[in-house]
Amino acid sequence: MSPGESRPVALVPGVLALLPEYASIEDPVAELREACLSVVGQLGPRVRVVAGSESGSRVGASLVEAVGSTVAPEDPTGVLAVGNGSAKRSEKAPGHHDERAEAFDAMLRDALVAADGDALRGTDAELAAELWADVGALDQLAGFLVAGHVASVEYDGAPFGVQYWAVSWTLADPSTDRP
Amino acid sequence: MLRLRRHTFADDATLMMAIVNRTPDSFFDQGATWAEDAAFARVAEVVAEGAEVVDIGGIKAAPGVPISEAEEKARVVGLVARVRSEFPSVVISVDTWRASVGAAVCEAGADVLNDAWGGADPELVDVAAQFGAGLVCTHTGGATPRTRPYRVEYDDVVAAAIADTVAYAERALAAGVARASIVIDPAHDFGKNTFHSLEVTRRLEEMVATGWPVLVSLSNKDFVGETLDLPVGERLLGTLAATAICAMAGARIYRVHQVAETRQVVDMAWTVAGRRRPKRAIRGLQ
Repeated sequence: MSPGESRPVALVPGVLALLPEYASIEDPVAELREACLSVVGQLGPRVRVVAGSESGSRVGASLVEAVGSTVAPEDPTGVLAVGNGSAKRSEKAPGHHDERAEAFDAMLRDALVAADGDALRGTDAELAAELWADVGALDQLAGFLVAGHVASVEYDGAPFGVQYWAVSWTLADPSTDRP
Repeated sequence: MLRLRRHTFADDATLMMAIVNRTPDSFFDQGATWAEDAAFARVAEVVAEGAEVVDIGGIKAAPGVPISEAEEKARVVGLVARVRSEFPSVVISVDTWRASVGAAVCEAGADVLNDAWGGADPELVDVAAQFGAGLVCTHTGGATPRTRPYRVEYDDVVAAAIADTVAYAERALAAGVARASIVIDPAHDFGKNTFHSLEVTRRLEEMVATGWPVLVSLSNKDFVGETLDLPVGERLLGTLAATAICAMAGARIYRVHQVAETRQVVDMAWTVAGRRRPKRAIRGLQ
């Protein structure tokens, strides 16, 4: 599969607390984990993981394995991108509060929901770095989104001052009449 | 797996065994729970605090007025039955060395016989076997029940504690007590001076290495008091420091007066030791 081919695509955040080695007795990210597993579960048995960091790749691979699929760089049935919005969304956020963060995340959210590859590619990398946003995989994500992909946002929140999304993009059923 | 009659616990579980005295004269509470209703209220309190085990005793450890078997039974059997009925999920241990008392409390629903006097009554193991109860095998250096140590010395107190408790455990096993139901206890301050109890604490991992689950009874004892020169009532911090060291070494059961405080210390040390996960870790992992 190459960019441009239509396959299910998903986005999850690179939250280290999702990794088994950082498990707690009470899962602090239970709701997020459930949403991530749900979107990853829609990617089929062989999943290509694209991430902007090594730890992001590990988080992606861990979720793929958790749903019983395998990581497959070649000929995948679906693509999992790992990334998230700003880590400066609140006073207690890892990067402390930055007043620009919310607007940045809103723009990113719009681009994700619209499956707007051009907007994703146009993300301001400098601002993203200043806002501690993990956007390294967005260019690749943009390449896998095609016309007809419809976003389903299963998680949208910043519980620890970091903006997370769990999104899946699947092709709209062509047999469905849309008004 | 640890099996205490009708209750089972995983091998990585730690248990709080709360002391409940049906005595008018125990050193720490001085008779505060002597009345059966007071003792029962104490049980309700420690269960609410999360104690997995209550250890009901009818005779104080120190010398004093002799308590007959009949009197000991009168103090503990009724309370055991009441606790069994009201708190079905709590493990009931009874602190007794007498086989006849052990049989009576097991009949009333006790799950564990905590023999603080190291097998002074040879038939106690048979009672534990008969009822499928747990048995705590302690080291007293051969002390007679309710006597204080006087000029006791050991070549190696830890080696002696291991040899005696393991021998007792094997005797229990031979008598038919299940392997999973036997616990060993070095018995701090029993047949030991403060230096002995400190050494047992310092080298507790040697007892843990025997493979038998280890119980420690440190709570507010004289070795803490003498180490810090503090009276009963001011020994909690010292007790907890020793508790942390025993938890690090891998002790499984903690016989305590203060349940909530000990639970925190044991959970913390157990987690530092890598045997328990943090309750809820997110810092730096968002």
